[in-house]
Amino acid sequence: MEDAERIRRIVIVGGGTAGWMVAAALAKVVGTRTHSITLVESDQIGTVGVGEATIPPIALFNKLLGIDEDTFVRETGGTFKLGIEFVDWLRLGHRYMHSFGLFGVDMNGIPFTHYWLRSMRNGAATDKDLFNAEAEAARQGRFARTPPGAPATMPRINYAFQFDAGRYAAFLRSHAEERGVERVEGRVAQVGRDSASGVLTDLLLDDGRTLGADFFVDCSGFGGLLIEKTLGAGYQDWSRWLPANRAVAVPCARSGTLLPYTRATAREGGWQWRIPLQHRTGNGYVFSDGFVSETAATDALMGRLDGEPLADPRVLKFVTGCRQRSWIGNCVAVGLSSGFLEPLESTSIHLIQAAISKLLAFFPQRRIEPAIAERFNREMTLLYETTRDFLVAHYKLTERDDTEFWRYCRTMDVPDTLRAKLDLFRSRGEVMPAGHELFREGNWFAVLYGQGLEPDGYHPIADALAADELGRRLDQIRAGVGARVATMPAHSAFVARCCAAPA
Amino acid sequence: MTRRIEKVVIVGRDAAAWLVALGLQRAVGQTGVKVQVVELPSLLQPVDFYPALPSLAGLHALLGVPEAAMLKACRGVPTLGQRFVGWGGEGSSFVHAYDIQRPAIEQIDFLQYWVKARGQGLKIALEDFSLAAAAAKQGRLSDTPAGPDTLAGFQPGYHLDALRYVRFLRGGALAAGVEHRPATLDAIRREGDRITAIVLHDGTEIGADLFVDATGAEAALIGQMPGAEVTSWGEWLGCDRILAASAPVLRPLPAFGQVTALRNGWVGLYPLQDRTALIASYAADGTSDQDVLAEAAAAARVPVSGDVVVSSFEPGIRARPWVGNCVAVGAAAVGLEPLDAVQLQIVQIGLSNLVALWPVEADTMPEAPLYGAAMASHAANLRDFQIAHYRLNRRAGQPFWDRARDAGGPASLQAKLSLFGSCGQVPLYDDESFLAQNWSAVFVGHGLIPKSYNPAVDAVPPQEQMESFQKLLHVIAEEVRAMPTVETWLARRTG
Repeated sequence: MEDAERIRRIVIVGGGTAGWMVAAALAKVVGTRTHSITLVESDQIGTVGVGEATIPPIALFNKLLGIDEDTFVRETGGTFKLGIEFVDWLRLGHRYMHSFGLFGVDMNGIPFTHYWLRSMRNGAATDKDLFNAEAEAARQGRFARTPPGAPATMPRINYAFQFDAGRYAAFLRSHAEERGVERVEGRVAQVGRDSASGVLTDLLLDDGRTLGADFFVDCSGFGGLLIEKTLGAGYQDWSRWLPANRAVAVPCARSGTLLPYTRATAREGGWQWRIPLQHRTGNGYVFSDGFVSETAATDALMGRLDGEPLADPRVLKFVTGCRQRSWIGNCVAVGLSSGFLEPLESTSIHLIQAAISKLLAFFPQRRIEPAIAERFNREMTLLYETTRDFLVAHYKLTERDDTEFWRYCRTMDVPDTLRAKLDLFRSRGEVMPAGHELFREGNWFAVLYGQGLEPDGYHPIADALAADELGRRLDQIRAGVGARVATMPAHSAFVARCCAAPA
Repeated sequence: MTRRIEKVVIVGRDAAAWLVALGLQRAVGQTGVKVQVVELPSLLQPVDFYPALPSLAGLHALLGVPEAAMLKACRGVPTLGQRFVGWGGEGSSFVHAYDIQRPAIEQIDFLQYWVKARGQGLKIALEDFSLAAAAAKQGRLSDTPAGPDTLAGFQPGYHLDALRYVRFLRGGALAAGVEHRPATLDAIRREGDRITAIVLHDGTEIGADLFVDATGAEAALIGQMPGAEVTSWGEWLGCDRILAASAPVLRPLPAFGQVTALRNGWVGLYPLQDRTALIASYAADGTSDQDVLAEAAAAARVPVSGDVVVSSFEPGIRARPWVGNCVAVGAAAVGLEPLDAVQLQIVQIGLSNLVALWPVEADTMPEAPLYGAAMASHAANLRDFQIAHYRLNRRAGQPFWDRARDAGGPASLQAKLSLFGSCGQVPLYDDESFLAQNWSAVFVGHGLIPKSYNPAVDAVPPQEQMESFQKLLHVIAEEVRAMPTVETWLARRTG
């Protein structure tokens, strides 16, 4: 193709988690030999530092960048994560685990959970997590990866990471800068557009410098400096389903066992996260200021820390929703500038990663075909919407009526797409997610069942096994999971051995 | 506790009826559900055959259909793809091969490198980098499973004699415990949107909790249900008539089917062990069956012998393929022309969705709309794959083909064409039967070349890239040379 048709200069606006993830990926895949990649950020603008907890697909991003996992965990003060424990969501005193693992093994072409439902109906009372190695390991505070050379028939241990988002951005920054990304310190004062075509042409910085580019990535955060303030993409507001609009966050000193999972505890007007890292514990209270004041939420959070606070609490404001279009012309928004979903299922970094992999796959020429932006926007919107539905289910299925917030959530209308899933689950114990959805049957089962939605039926094929044969197989699977977990070291021992952060 | 389905009756004929009967017997028969086939007189003739995609082998494995015995009984021949002749104008041709694993370089799809190299003057066709296409052209196919030192192994599709295949499946189903009642259908008894019984010609009434309509395009049950009318796809798929005939066996046996464009449609040649099946699909408007037969035989360069059978069809889908307790499978639910070997694929999709959605409760069946949505989604993708052939044709000055090129197409296909045309990515939807490399093989084969390629390709130095191309061509040539011919491959299996 003609050289003049190619994108040569790329500018990334904003240097938080999203900005440096984009920079590192572009530097690796597109390369700075043939392209100039510049990231403009200001030390005076704080970053949100979202996404301290992640989900398993992040391993693909690490692989793309060629990052060694132990190095990455060490450099970010990270820990391993097998799932999320939900406390007080169904009712006060109730808890359940949403692990990254599979339940049992599929039999006769249908998921194990149908067999488990049948056994429960016939009077068994076996905790489903005993059939899930990740859930059981999490409960016991153990962790190990799938051993190298394990037989292909052995199920893999599915895990993600919990880490210090500030250190993660710094880690990716050095990765990107080593590969030739140029960092420019400054604030964007004005955005230049071509008057005829409307495409972005350059950025005027507050010190008078100008940065021209062929392609712009907006990682400027909630406000969407390019995508919204300049290009007017528009925003779908989902706060009627996810009413939280504030988070107050504070780190505290590490205490107790180093848990291989994140905890989400339902509170008066939202929920509180607890993310165990090597050097501290991350905490935050996600709430709606329509139900709880900022002061009350901050006081509540500070009163419930399990270690000495290590900083002053910081309040973040947001509106849950999704940009109508996150790719317009020669500008694509990645991260909070493209939308916001509360970190209840640790999806923030995944949403960034998904946008990056689509951008790389569809990487355009200078004259950008509308089909590319249309497809990108369609895929991102579907990802946001289906993830939103999964989050809404956590709130909708509560039995709590002890505060105004939970009464609202319990009685609110939900999106039709979620309604259909809940109805299907109620009738037959499965939701049949479409192929493009992030959360799969096992994820939905863990959360919907965990939230107290007990199905009326299960797949009839589960009746094919004779009762004693079913009992024998369940015992066998449970014993296998138990034996496997027993071989795993304590999570803290695993971290100390392979990837302890420098003190 | 809910009331389970105790009995299912499959009313129908031919491969659809027996594949579904065997599938249901294997899946739910073991839970105590009684599976009965009320078999209507066959519509098949000795000239008929079934083309099958590689996915049929997977279904056979699930159903316990022994592959070697099946191939022997059905005079079956393995096929690695289809060669399209004349769709891009006189003298043009390309192969759509079934290997979906063309090696990536540095995690980037091979196609991207090919697009760049082509822009710089490379004259080697995309299909020359396909192991299956190369093997198909030489009448050979792999005899060993994929290994670490070979290109990914691929499963062939099949060409099967239709009457023999039905007989073989029927035998398997009966042996598995399916009940069988040959009959003709007089009426159905219905209360609201539920069938209470079907009435046979001898007056017998047969009841069931669930009725499966596998009667083909006749749609003897679903056609009488409320709200199950057909949405036609005729505006995009112009053929409405099919002609079937036989030609002498080809020696050596080719490992592909060949689909040649005609003035008003196309003719396909499909090798079997003892004959060659021939099918023409065309627009009845503006041509006579006699003319088509003559043109087809000339275009396919084979003498046509014996019976010639002609039938009509309409491409389209039932608005509701499952109404009440009546669920349609195969051509009773979705009508497509016999291009790209989709007929048995439609049956297979219906069976797998029916098993996945097997009703928990016999009296309500809220699964019906989910089945409808799944069928619509799968069928739309298959439909788009077929339309793409017409949409991208480059035959000049023939009204049928000009119309097909100008007919546009569904937005779903348009999005695929636009994105592929700009950057070589195929935007897949849910429920695709054909994967990205199938789509790109067909798009490129018909002349749609992406305008740009992934910039990551530039990270590989040109010299290195050229060497990897040469190495790949060399490996393909070596591997094909080591493969047995179709005849040898068959002899090793069927004795």
